[in-house]
Amino acid sequence: MSIEVRNITKRFGDFAALRDINLQFSTGELVALLGPSGCGKTTLLRIIAGLEFPETGDVLFDGKSAAERTVRQRRVGFVFQHYALFRHMSVFENVAFGLRVRPRKFRPSNAEIRDKVNTLLKLIQMEHLARHYPAQLSGGQRQRVALARALAVEPSVLLLDEPFGALDAKVRLELRRWLRRLHDELHVTSVFVTHDQEEALEVADRVVLMNAGRVEQVGTPEEVYDNPATPFVYTFLGHVNIFRGRVHRGHAQVGAVEIDAPEYTDADNAPAVGYVRPHDVEVFREAGDPLAIPARVVRVQMLGPLVRLELATLSGGDPLEAQLTRKGFQELNARPGETVYVKMANMRVFI
Amino acid sequence: MASRRSIIPGFNITMGLTLSYLAAMVLLPLAALFVKTTTSTWQEFLQTVTSARVVASYRLSFLAAFAAASINAVFGFLVAWVLVRYNFPGKRIIDGLVDLPFALPTAVAGISLTAVYAPSGLFGKPLAALGIKSAFSPLGVVIALTFISLPFVVRTVQPILQNLEIENEEAAASLGAGRMQTFLRVLLPTVLPAVLTGFALSFARALGEYGSVVFISGNMPMKTEITPLLIMTKLEQFDYPGAAAVAVVMLAASFLILLATNLLQWWGKRRGIWV
Repeated sequence: MSIEVRNITKRFGDFAALRDINLQFSTGELVALLGPSGCGKTTLLRIIAGLEFPETGDVLFDGKSAAERTVRQRRVGFVFQHYALFRHMSVFENVAFGLRVRPRKFRPSNAEIRDKVNTLLKLIQMEHLARHYPAQLSGGQRQRVALARALAVEPSVLLLDEPFGALDAKVRLELRRWLRRLHDELHVTSVFVTHDQEEALEVADRVVLMNAGRVEQVGTPEEVYDNPATPFVYTFLGHVNIFRGRVHRGHAQVGAVEIDAPEYTDADNAPAVGYVRPHDVEVFREAGDPLAIPARVVRVQMLGPLVRLELATLSGGDPLEAQLTRKGFQELNARPGETVYVKMANMRVFI
Repeated sequence: MASRRSIIPGFNITMGLTLSYLAAMVLLPLAALFVKTTTSTWQEFLQTVTSARVVASYRLSFLAAFAAASINAVFGFLVAWVLVRYNFPGKRIIDGLVDLPFALPTAVAGISLTAVYAPSGLFGKPLAALGIKSAFSPLGVVIALTFISLPFVVRTVQPILQNLEIENEEAAASLGAGRMQTFLRVLLPTVLPAVLTGFALSFARALGEYGSVVFISGNMPMKTEITPLLIMTKLEQFDYPGAAAVAVVMLAASFLILLATNLLQWWGKRRGIWV
């Protein structure tokens, strides 16, 4: 089922949680709503689910307005950050809940319920824990039960609110890969909220970046990472070096760097900021390239397969961070205190 | 042993103190009660506790206490629900008001209830006009017991309701459950052990209540005479073995109720409801 969000606005008192949000989610997609806490992503998810109501705007499922439909009638599967399992019910009964509360006419027989629940428990690899109570499970197991419970009612849309937020790093990684595989099997339109950019880029087909109640950019993980539409997206997705300077008639002078900025041909000495990702900073031993600028190595940090260099350009200005592979670093063979030459392979300038 | 490993010293001393304190304050008087009953023969004991007047008092005491605890189970749950789920001006005052029956001397409660429910009183008059006798009838006993045992259900249910996550109800709704289904299948089972505990505590407290009831009940033998009052009467007539016999039966009943409460708590814990 496709979802459309149209002109959604929501306020909590004086605080504008969402300002005129317009989004499309196509059938079978897995989309991440990504943003810092308080950006409105959870509120948007709850509005889609029908747990919260917007001041203006509408949510459409397959083109039909859902404004008059309650959460109960929307047939969405909702997975909560803190699982929200029913503590007094076993794993089995938790998963069976959605089937047992159906009106008698549509309620499956006990045998059908048992088959269905067992299939789902197999899917989440927890058949052996069917009789356990939520209190006896680990966080990862609880979240899998919550997911199975949501899937039991065969929702047309699956909404997940920070599904891995309460888990520790390793379980989180495992579970998000598992979720991706599960989605590839089931193809149910899914939207999940996260503040973890790595999670969003790894799992989602498309990423919706949100900030302060607005959508900053929508795109595939490659698009949003390689071509951030706004300074916010640049800083929010991964590390970035920031240079302050000016743009004049399509030419930018930021920090010690001079580059062309063809999108700002009519800018007249306007203040500007240049953004460069650490892995787009090239580091050389010798001053061969005319665009390279000299810098001093301040610190070298080994981060597993990568090496992080902290640099200071000799002309002063903000400190600079470069990221090399181990191999690249061995070839460079730079030590703290030595002078190297850096070149920005890929810089974006925003006014 | 806990004493070997614990980083906090003084296990032996505190344990010893606790045991002797409990023995002196609780066990000794209760043992004395049993000893007292042995001064009468088995025959006399049975005769005392099965005499018509005593049985009538048991009936009134247990039924009235049961009725009061039942009323409080329902309305106490409601009060707790309102106090936890809604915000309104004066909420703190109402929250404090719940404890008043605890703090109030029971005699004061008895006098004020009698004044209100007497045939000429504020509530008593309209009730009398309807042909309902409130004070000086078993109904009066129930009213007094309901009043004094009100806080128990509220105070046991309140924390459980506070810990309930709204998300649980939202999850139920998103899975297609209606309001009634959410209440019956999600809310009630979680809260029920606490309600039952509160009920048992109310019942135990109401069973032993004396001070407030003697004013409002009228104390007519066979009709509105509660067991604690009967014990009192026997004592005044220097019938110590008789009073002890009646008291032992009450003690056994209270003990059973406490046992039931603990079993309920154990059951709730095992089901993972109170984590």
